[in-house]
Amino acid sequence: MIILQKKYWYSIIILFIGLGTVLLTYFNTNYQSTIAVVTQAKKISAEKVKDQYDNTDHEITQKLTLKVLNHQHRGQSYHLKNTYEQSQLEDQKYHKNQRVFVQVRNGQLTISNVKRDWVIILMVFTLILLMVVLIGAKSWLVLMSLLLNTVIFYVVIHFDIQKNGSGTIMIYSLAAIIFATVSFLLYQGIHKKMWAMLTSTIVALLISFGLCYLIMRLTNERGITYMAVEYATQNPRSLFIGQTLLGVLGAVMDESTDIVSSLSEIIYHNPKITGKQLWHSGRAIGQEIMGPLINVLFLIFMADALPMTILYLRNNNTIAYTFEYTLSLGVLQSLISAIGIVLTVPTATICAYYFLIKKEGHQ
Amino acid sequence: MSTMLALLLVLLTLMVIVGGRSGIKSYLSIIINFGLVFIVALLISWGANIALTAACFVPLKLLTIIYLGTNETKIADKSFLISFIVTVIIVVLILGFNFLAQAPGIGEQSGEDLIGLSDAPGLSFAAIGVVVAIFSTLGAISEAAVAMSAGLIELKRQNQQLSMAKFYQSGLNIGEDILGTAVNTILFGFFGSFLALFIWYTRLNYTISQILNDKLFAQEFLIMCYSIIGVLLVIPLTTLVVSRSKKL
Repeated sequence: MIILQKKYWYSIIILFIGLGTVLLTYFNTNYQSTIAVVTQAKKISAEKVKDQYDNTDHEITQKLTLKVLNHQHRGQSYHLKNTYEQSQLEDQKYHKNQRVFVQVRNGQLTISNVKRDWVIILMVFTLILLMVVLIGAKSWLVLMSLLLNTVIFYVVIHFDIQKNGSGTIMIYSLAAIIFATVSFLLYQGIHKKMWAMLTSTIVALLISFGLCYLIMRLTNERGITYMAVEYATQNPRSLFIGQTLLGVLGAVMDESTDIVSSLSEIIYHNPKITGKQLWHSGRAIGQEIMGPLINVLFLIFMADALPMTILYLRNNNTIAYTFEYTLSLGVLQSLISAIGIVLTVPTATICAYYFLIKKEGHQ
Repeated sequence: MSTMLALLLVLLTLMVIVGGRSGIKSYLSIIINFGLVFIVALLISWGANIALTAACFVPLKLLTIIYLGTNETKIADKSFLISFIVTVIIVVLILGFNFLAQAPGIGEQSGEDLIGLSDAPGLSFAAIGVVVAIFSTLGAISEAAVAMSAGLIELKRQNQQLSMAKFYQSGLNIGEDILGTAVNTILFGFFGSFLALFIWYTRLNYTISQILNDKLFAQEFLIMCYSIIGVLLVIPLTTLVVSRSKKL
């Protein structure tokens, strides 16, 4: 009962802090850029347009009235015409009461961006609240690991920029080892099970990446369209390699944890288990989790490319061309991840055997 | 031989060696899943109703992932039911948050990639954004549902006499572990997916406030959170469903 009550109080406190922070962020006007609120939005015309591929869209013009909320033009109202396509691919519709970032020059106001930070904060608190209500005590561990990993990610990015895309494999392999060590220390603490998990993660990651890199070199990286790497500000090949190494890391950690902890239960109940029996158990557990895990990453990598794929197809590009420029890198990333996930099964089993049986001197 | 073909063959070989028959099934599930994503892209690009397409393909994808990924029908049945319910809840959440964020379409960072492409394609990119968010969460939701129901069904079989309170406590314990590891998979999956974007932000000296208000950041951050919330919802729901089912 006491635990329940504690949880109940925590949830209420988080709810109020959350609501307060969201409202403060929403109404905050203390930004470098000028902020305005849309006080009126009226649709004045809608025109049918056709693009060069005969796709019909509607070009809509809105008449907006905005009131500036901060800096030198504070309190002044501006009128503005906003034209957008109904598909909202690059431009967008504005609503009454929406807060936006604007620029005022020579008495003319232009909208530069929508204010979205309060939605991010709202999501953060929704997540924390749900976690505390549904999980309770352990949620702070999950939140801590999210936060710590984000900080490490930030440092890694700065390091990558300093090296300007050289030594990528080195940087991201080291980063992966640091990420894994920190996460396992946080979740598991120091004991032999944790060493088995950590070793399995690092070994599986290095072997699978090494194997995939070898395959890439042997096939001369034929058919890898590095040009299709999105948002590239440095050598796209190095970005692809970094993304692949980081992408598979979480899944390999996940799987190593599952297999090692299940095997350690088996060893605990049956200390006389032979290496061969352990191998069979490890394989059986691995078979169950391998498929769904590969699909988790696959969907994250694929769904992300969906809008571009649809846009390319809509522009009468051939299926082969569209695939090459929008989906192929995601598929490659998924395949490399999948190889990592499959190789984790034997690695985790061998690590469990080595750390939990051999080192204990059972045999 | 192209790199992709070589990787496909190596993966097939490894999955057969490590997974045997279920390895082949998992391999198939990935191929079918890819086919489904591509068919969705094709259908939408041909002008099919986006909501209807999503409503048809979400259950199909869940079926593929769950029934081809697990070997026991009992676990698969429960996992499918749970994933489906959680997905419905998540869809409501996605519609709400995506409306608040007002972040449809493609970011300004894609400028160069859009050269030569029509800016009036006549498809609602707000709706496509919702489909992307739903698809991204499906993998995480179904993986958690399978892991959770497998654990709980096994527990119930081993201890028939377990009291309700103890069962719920065990459910919570298993759930904590699953959440911890699933969050890692999701987090690094997204790090891996958006490394280039974050390097872009850092190189161009975006301020924290600029990042938090950026269209692409909002899209990606929200998608990551939907997945984590999906996993979170799976935990109590599975405990409830498994505890109520008589025959296991």
